[in-house]
Amino acid sequence: MNARQLAEGFVRAGAVLSLLVPWEIVSRAGLIPQLLAPGLADIGAAFWAALLNGDLVYHASFSLWRALAGFGMAVAVGIPLGAAMARARLFEAVFEPVFSFSYPVPKIALYPIFIFIFGLGSGSKVALVFLECLYPITVNAYFGIRGVEPAYLRAALNMGARPLRLFWRVVVPAAAPDIFAGIRIALPVAFIVVILAEMIGESVGLGYYISYQSVSFDNASSMAGIAAVAIIGFCLDRLLIAIRARLVFWEHLDRVDR
Amino acid sequence: MSRASSSAAGSAAAAPGSDRLWDSPLGRRLLGLGIWSLVVALWEWLTQSGNAPDYLVAPSAIVVTLARLAADGELWTHMAASLFRVAIGLSVGAVAGTLIGLLAGVNRAVELYFDPIISLTYPVPKIAILPILMAWFGIGDLSKIVIIITAVFYPTFINSYYGAKGVALSHLRAALNMGASPWRVFWRVVFPASLPQILTGLRIALALSFIVLFAAEMIGARSGLGYLIIVAENNLRFDIMYASLLTIGIIGLAADRGLLALRQRLLAGRPDAGSRR
Repeated sequence: MNARQLAEGFVRAGAVLSLLVPWEIVSRAGLIPQLLAPGLADIGAAFWAALLNGDLVYHASFSLWRALAGFGMAVAVGIPLGAAMARARLFEAVFEPVFSFSYPVPKIALYPIFIFIFGLGSGSKVALVFLECLYPITVNAYFGIRGVEPAYLRAALNMGARPLRLFWRVVVPAAAPDIFAGIRIALPVAFIVVILAEMIGESVGLGYYISYQSVSFDNASSMAGIAAVAIIGFCLDRLLIAIRARLVFWEHLDRVDR
Repeated sequence: MSRASSSAAGSAAAAPGSDRLWDSPLGRRLLGLGIWSLVVALWEWLTQSGNAPDYLVAPSAIVVTLARLAADGELWTHMAASLFRVAIGLSVGAVAGTLIGLLAGVNRAVELYFDPIISLTYPVPKIAILPILMAWFGIGDLSKIVIIITAVFYPTFINSYYGAKGVALSHLRAALNMGASPWRVFWRVVFPASLPQILTGLRIALALSFIVLFAAEMIGARSGLGYLIIVAENNLRFDIMYASLLTIGIIGLAADRGLLALRQRLLAGRPDAGSRR
């Protein structure tokens, strides 16, 4: 680490501190009631306490399970569906207009109806996550596979590749960066949707925890819950970047967004 | 074999000698329309015959309820409340995000300040702070506007930041060489060059603002389309739920298509003008 990097490190730390320090001052000075804006030490203490008594782990495990279940189902359905739309005209005719018209519709509005269909528990959340994740995954897979260079296909066919081999050895690798782009959009969406749905109606999960602690006037615990959401969101993002580096290593065009 | 390559080539014209309906663009349109009309008809029949569960409301009943809500003005009140919040939140958040993003793209000091904050908080679901915002600002318009501003800031910032970073150095040098002031370079070179990226960010922000708004209105509000859905849910009025859902869908779709049309106008003649992704 040279002097320049060290200096930039200081600036980076300073930037984050420039937000945290005024917060602490405002809270300490009592400009805003401490009940509403607890100090960092209080939030830290609440986080530690909720971590030790298992609250955070308990609620986080529900949120994560729901997010990953819906996301996994969306991957399992969305990629084959996108591939079918790209490779078969019939599928394209039936599904392309649906995706095109309902993509910009906020699917969260369906949640109350999902509650009646799938119940108040995990079912309705998983279904909503599935639906929200299905769109970016399917549409990106569709565009990615449709956009595969025809020359690659002809070359492979010329050399006698069978359809299945063509799909797995040419189409999938060529479309992988696009498919992965859809997955990268979908995973944070899954987590956001779970937190939202849990805030609207639930008795477990991080979204419920945050909103319950807040209406119980325990904003320190509520912010501890937000911190837990932040840490999980950050880790999921890092995980995706690490996976992408291994999985689609041949695409290094947008390495800038670390 | 020719089928594989022609379908891969995208929306190419129908292959000569094709006899299937879905091989021509018009046929595909008709087929899609036909199949989904059939689904709606089936839905209507199922609900009319009384075999459907309560939560499936006949499409005709949804339209009737929507017309009634529109006639007695209830729909417009809630729609106006929702659109007001989105309009303020989106414009404040998007202008701030775009301007600061562009500045961070051209100015090293601004970049150094915002980069650690953004990269640390970007993957965090911003919606998590909603309960706190409601404790601070109440359940009126302000808490919704603030959460929309927060949510919208990130995609607009990041896209305009990369847009400004990607401006060709030769364009900047040419403008400076010809004596343009930094201010002029910013507005006449950096901004137009980043416009495609800015609009991409804006489209994400638009979708996000609606999601966040309706969610916030479902969690705690006294007006708005999200609130209307929750009230309908509590009264088991499925027809009103679907009617507001339909309204939300139409608003979301219309806003998105409007933005795409604007994009095509603003970027007329550029290669990525018609990009739908």
